[in-house]
Amino acid sequence: MSASKIVTILIALILGAGLGLAYGWVVDPVEFTDVTPDLLREDYRVDFVLMTAEAYQNDFDSNAAAKRLALLGSQPPASYVASAIEYAGLNAFTPDEMRALQSLLTAMQTHQPDANPNP
Amino acid sequence: MKRSPYSILQIVLAVLTGFGLGLAYSWLLSPVTYVDANPALLRADFKDQYRIAIAAAYAANQDLTRANARLNLLGDADPVAELSAQAQRMLAAGEPFDKARPLAQLATDLQQGFVSEPFTSTPIPTFNTPEGIVASPTETNIPASSEEATFTPQPTVFFEQTPLTPLSQETVAPRPTFTPTPGPGAPFTLVEREDICDPALSRVMQFLLMDSRRTQVPGVEIVVTWNQGEDRFFTGFKPELGNGYADFVMEADTVYNIRIVTGGAFVSDISAPTCSDPNGADYPGGILLTFQQP
Repeated sequence: MSASKIVTILIALILGAGLGLAYGWVVDPVEFTDVTPDLLREDYRVDFVLMTAEAYQNDFDSNAAAKRLALLGSQPPASYVASAIEYAGLNAFTPDEMRALQSLLTAMQTHQPDANPNP
Repeated sequence: MKRSPYSILQIVLAVLTGFGLGLAYSWLLSPVTYVDANPALLRADFKDQYRIAIAAAYAANQDLTRANARLNLLGDADPVAELSAQAQRMLAAGEPFDKARPLAQLATDLQQGFVSEPFTSTPIPTFNTPEGIVASPTETNIPASSEEATFTPQPTVFFEQTPLTPLSQETVAPRPTFTPTPGPGAPFTLVEREDICDPALSRVMQFLLMDSRRTQVPGVEIVVTWNQGEDRFFTGFKPELGNGYADFVMEADTVYNIRIVTGGAFVSDISAPTCSDPNGADYPGGILLTFQQP
């Protein structure tokens, strides 16, 4: 096989790979339909924290709130609330919403997980 | 330059091989990763948790518009049906009614288009945060001494005492007689029992529970017992049929006893009536039981 032929085949190979990458990344990328909440966009995550805060205003159940926030990932629940408060401060949340988030933050900072969870 | 068919085939094969390798890399080794997903892409169990959070928040703020907007983010074709179905799944899984109730309540309110329970504000505990100042999550606000609130004494109010003059003739007005009014926990009584001869409703025992103003009441537990078992369910999980509606499928030739848990109403000896179709053939019909609070 001549050198020019090898070069031609290599160019064809690279061209094919480029087409394959373009198809796989742009034309028909892998669709994720079963994502976990930690992949939610920031505003959706903040809204989830706000929902948790609003619910906490009603039941003052810090265990339930901590379990809900645990859906967002493995970080401490208070860190999600703190991030949400920062986001809320930059995005003109209402005073009621800020108070609810503050209250949840205080609860999560002092929350002690169940020492003896149900088996 | 003229290429032989063999070399053209080699080039095509090389392109196809490259395409396959590129596709494998882009789909398997390094697929597009979503870091900004929306709630519609959540896995089904996380969607359930999302709905529970929406319903819990709605129970607190009674903001039906916001709850509806949040539900729409999940991309359900029929959010009300999804809420009802999830509430039923939770009950079927043995979870307490208190956990399923917010979902059912939200489904009911979305169905009727207004908040059915008046909002009762729960006082928010205050942590001595000055009004208008939001504590940063990473720092502690220590008010400076100059910012401390100054105590302003309340003005003293003086009342001038009017000497009491004893009445020479005291007329005692009769006190109004207390008339008890039935509350939400008043017992339901069976006010109507109707046999339904409709093949579409064959063996269906339908319940309709209403309060004294004939408003349908959701969330009332009904217990149906028969000689081989028992079933429990609640009104309001099919809001499209009414907030106070519930149903149960009977077996033919089986006698049922009904107990409305709220108020303890008890109805015995309920069975599917015998109906005849246009051809004269018998089939088990349905029954509609209407309960009402006095």
